[in-house]
Amino acid sequence: MRVPVSWLQEFFDEELPDVGRLTDLLSGLGLAVETVHRLPPAPEGVIVARVEAVEPIPGTNDLKRAVVTHPGASVQVVCGAPNVAPGQLGALARPGARLPGVPGEVGTRTIQGVESDGMLASAKELGLYDHAAGIVTFGPDVRAGAPLAELWPDETVIELELTPNRADAFSLLGVARDLGAKLGWRVKHPAAGLDAGDPAVDDGLAIEVRDEAACPRFTLRRVDGVSVGPSPVWLQRRLAALGLRPRNNVVDVTNYVTFELGQPSHAYDVRALEGGVVQVRRASAGESLELLNEDTIELHAEDLVIATPTPGGGSKAIGLAGVMGGRQDSVVADTGQVALEVALFDPVTVRRAAKRHKLVTDARTRFERGVDPNLQPLASARAAHLIAEVAGGVVHAGLSATGRDVTRPAVAFRPSRVHYLMGFEVPPDTQRAYLERLGCAVDPGGATEEAGGEVWRVTPPSWRYDIGLEEDVIEEVARLHGYEHIGSTVPPMRFVPPATDPTHRGLKQRLAALGFQETITYVFTGDAELARSRSPEAVVRLEDPQGVDRAALRTSLLPGLLGAAAANRAEPALAFFEVGACSSPPRRRGSACWLAGRRCRASGARTCRATSTPSRAASRRWLPSPARGWSSGRPPTLSSTPAWPRRSCGRARRSGTPAAFTPRSRRRTSCPPRS
Amino acid sequence: MEDGRPEGLDLERELAGIASATDLETLQAHRVRLLGKKGVITARLKGLGALSPEERRVAGQAINAEKQALEAAFERRREELEREAVARQLASESLDVTLPGTRPPTGGLHLLTLVTNRLLDVFTSLGYEVVTGPELETDRYNFEALNFPPEHPARDTQDTFWTTDGRLLRTHTSPMQVRYMETHEPPFKVVVPGKVFRNEAVDATHEAQFNQLEALVVGERVTMADLRGAIDEMAGALIGAGTRTRLLPTYFPFVEPGAEFAIWWTNPRTGQEEWLELGGCGMVHPRVFEAVGYEGVTGFAFGFGIERLAMVPYGVPDIRYFYQSDMRVLRQFRGRL
Repeated sequence: MRVPVSWLQEFFDEELPDVGRLTDLLSGLGLAVETVHRLPPAPEGVIVARVEAVEPIPGTNDLKRAVVTHPGASVQVVCGAPNVAPGQLGALARPGARLPGVPGEVGTRTIQGVESDGMLASAKELGLYDHAAGIVTFGPDVRAGAPLAELWPDETVIELELTPNRADAFSLLGVARDLGAKLGWRVKHPAAGLDAGDPAVDDGLAIEVRDEAACPRFTLRRVDGVSVGPSPVWLQRRLAALGLRPRNNVVDVTNYVTFELGQPSHAYDVRALEGGVVQVRRASAGESLELLNEDTIELHAEDLVIATPTPGGGSKAIGLAGVMGGRQDSVVADTGQVALEVALFDPVTVRRAAKRHKLVTDARTRFERGVDPNLQPLASARAAHLIAEVAGGVVHAGLSATGRDVTRPAVAFRPSRVHYLMGFEVPPDTQRAYLERLGCAVDPGGATEEAGGEVWRVTPPSWRYDIGLEEDVIEEVARLHGYEHIGSTVPPMRFVPPATDPTHRGLKQRLAALGFQETITYVFTGDAELARSRSPEAVVRLEDPQGVDRAALRTSLLPGLLGAAAANRAEPALAFFEVGACSSPPRRRGSACWLAGRRCRASGARTCRATSTPSRAASRRWLPSPARGWSSGRPPTLSSTPAWPRRSCGRARRSGTPAAFTPRSRRRTSCPPRS
Repeated sequence: MEDGRPEGLDLERELAGIASATDLETLQAHRVRLLGKKGVITARLKGLGALSPEERRVAGQAINAEKQALEAAFERRREELEREAVARQLASESLDVTLPGTRPPTGGLHLLTLVTNRLLDVFTSLGYEVVTGPELETDRYNFEALNFPPEHPARDTQDTFWTTDGRLLRTHTSPMQVRYMETHEPPFKVVVPGKVFRNEAVDATHEAQFNQLEALVVGERVTMADLRGAIDEMAGALIGAGTRTRLLPTYFPFVEPGAEFAIWWTNPRTGQEEWLELGGCGMVHPRVFEAVGYEGVTGFAFGFGIERLAMVPYGVPDIRYFYQSDMRVLRQFRGRL
């Protein structure tokens, strides 16, 4: 979740602290700060200019000559963007400008015999957001000639890594609420005071929800007379700061509100809704749907879809509920009448459908965690009025809606339990203030438990899915009070641990003292590796392994140890051991040793002359005893075990070892000469 | 024999023979022949009886003089030979310290074992019991009993290796919390080291297999301050007394309240003082207690990855090194048995 700081500021009358303090505050609230991005302003030397005329340059594929004007000048540029058209307001980079996405300086040059006095730039070239398939365009809110750097100042974006329980924090409003509760500041709700629409007024739209469990709430609001075009620059800037690409003013508003309030929405072209009817139902067998991303998916009978009747009396899917809209219903350039869907879907239904079709969208992220069930009418009003503001048009007085507000069950909470669990005291008045600032309704009730402590009834706000137990309330109090108040104590406890060695430290140390090197290998292996090491056949296999050689659980430690030997061909002698679990019953944990090497001569000189190929090297599983070990001073060897060949001495044959990390190698690459 | 000697003795020749004896055996043979019971001198002394007292005195003196001369010669030569033998032995046994020696075998423990052992030493000294659990787990122990509801997005953060028989490789050491509590009664303090598995893309900081250490303390009045105390003790034992620690709120389904913890330390690689974010912790969730049938107790748990504690201090740049069995890497951590 990206939080542009200037946007967060709009929720408060008070001035936010500096970014360092702000990130500390957010982290202290459990909204972990992943990074802070500093987005630069638009580059100097770029101005808004109007495209007056466009004509193709003969003999080229898609280059065009565009005449561009701004107050006091008319210039000619060559442009290859497919979307350039007369009447647009674009960004003209004048000669001398340096753009983040363009090497060198913008100049006056001749392309295909046509002189180009600067360039019309894409968002990517300007460094604004990641879109290079066309020039950036602006709406009527900006005037030709305005320097872009003034319209598009720099921005600081705090990127939060949110935990799955904090569904409420997947929006600017949610982050502002937590921050406001911590600081004791009032939070301004963007939808406050807006006309929510009158369900009694007929708007010509109808909703048929056939699965209320999967869709407890559905609202439609009409906005008439919109003109689809580029969004105002403030809106584009905000979306860019969120990492999104501005598309058009209607779609941009739905995305904006998704992030502002945490409520996904979708705008339909009313022409795509047969008779103004929107249906919510499970998909039928064999049904398919072309999504906004232009992929066509085969729907599953469990998928919840948004549909509209067909003239023949049937019904066709126009969107995958809570995940992604369809292509056919979407807002296009000549859309004039918009039906705005703001709904609530069941988290599990959305999650299953999205997983099934491998779709990760901002809507899914929010629905599967849980959207405030009371937010839909407010969000609908906010989005509808914002569409009317940025795209023109009139918000219809009516509202089509199903479902109603819910109240979460109250939690019995003993303020004394904060000290009981956290070990620090928070005065009851302060506790109550914390909870109320978070939106909880606190009823002290006057009830007392036997021990004499108070019991409060705390009703969490509708947006907090994660407060259902007394411990959850305790955490809220502790979170606002600050975890830095947690003391450091040692519990008095009568517990005498038995002296056991479940990690086999004794065995490991003894083996190491005998000269074995411990290794730890993967518990995953493959059938070929098991067969090669004459281990029992695989018993347990993985559903989704990371390769055929990792598809089964090892039934002995030998595959790993043989692999260890193979990885060390350059070594003249090896003695490995591993202690680890194997899947072959009944033995749960095995230990194995592996030796390879050549007996030293009595002289003590080490020889590593090749006498064999690795495939002939013996491997044995055994537990060495001092009697048969080589603690007498001889190097690791079994009497019949030939050496690894010397062929790779001095040249590591591995490819997986990055060069940056050179192990401190004391490997001897040849025999020392005898004097 | 006119002088009464039983047989002649060429003293000069015999003395020369003794002096030239080359070894102790030859010398002994001479001695037996000359001075033995049946030797020349003995025979001559026996012959004295046939002489007159006057002759016997003269001859006896002569024989005794010869005997003494011979014995002195034998003794001298014996000493010489023994000295030579010692010298020869010393010469033959002299040590050439410049010769390459026979290298005694050197083994060692894996770095992860070393780090784990060190942590276990800390916890056992604090009175914790060390327990381990199965790597192949069931949904119940890995998720269900730990308050991960089915279909909850929390499961997304734990990309799981499922097996074809419907089990899974544990994604954390926390299932052992449930297993231990099912079979033991509080109060207790346990620590669980072990391998865990995540099915995610492997890179320099992510492995499909890695190790965690988990601590669980349950008793009648265990508080979050006790949790902080345990983390402080661990940090103090690892880094030094008085090491600062930090808890920040976060979420794990099986604790409430939950936190992540960090230790303030000087990164030995960079010399920078910074927070080393280690792992997660919190008070055991009431639903976990419910799943194991505990009532009226509180407890805390914390867990963290061992690889991170091995990589950062030892400057191991890539987590994959731990499982490649490369001797050039492994032997760098020897000598810390």
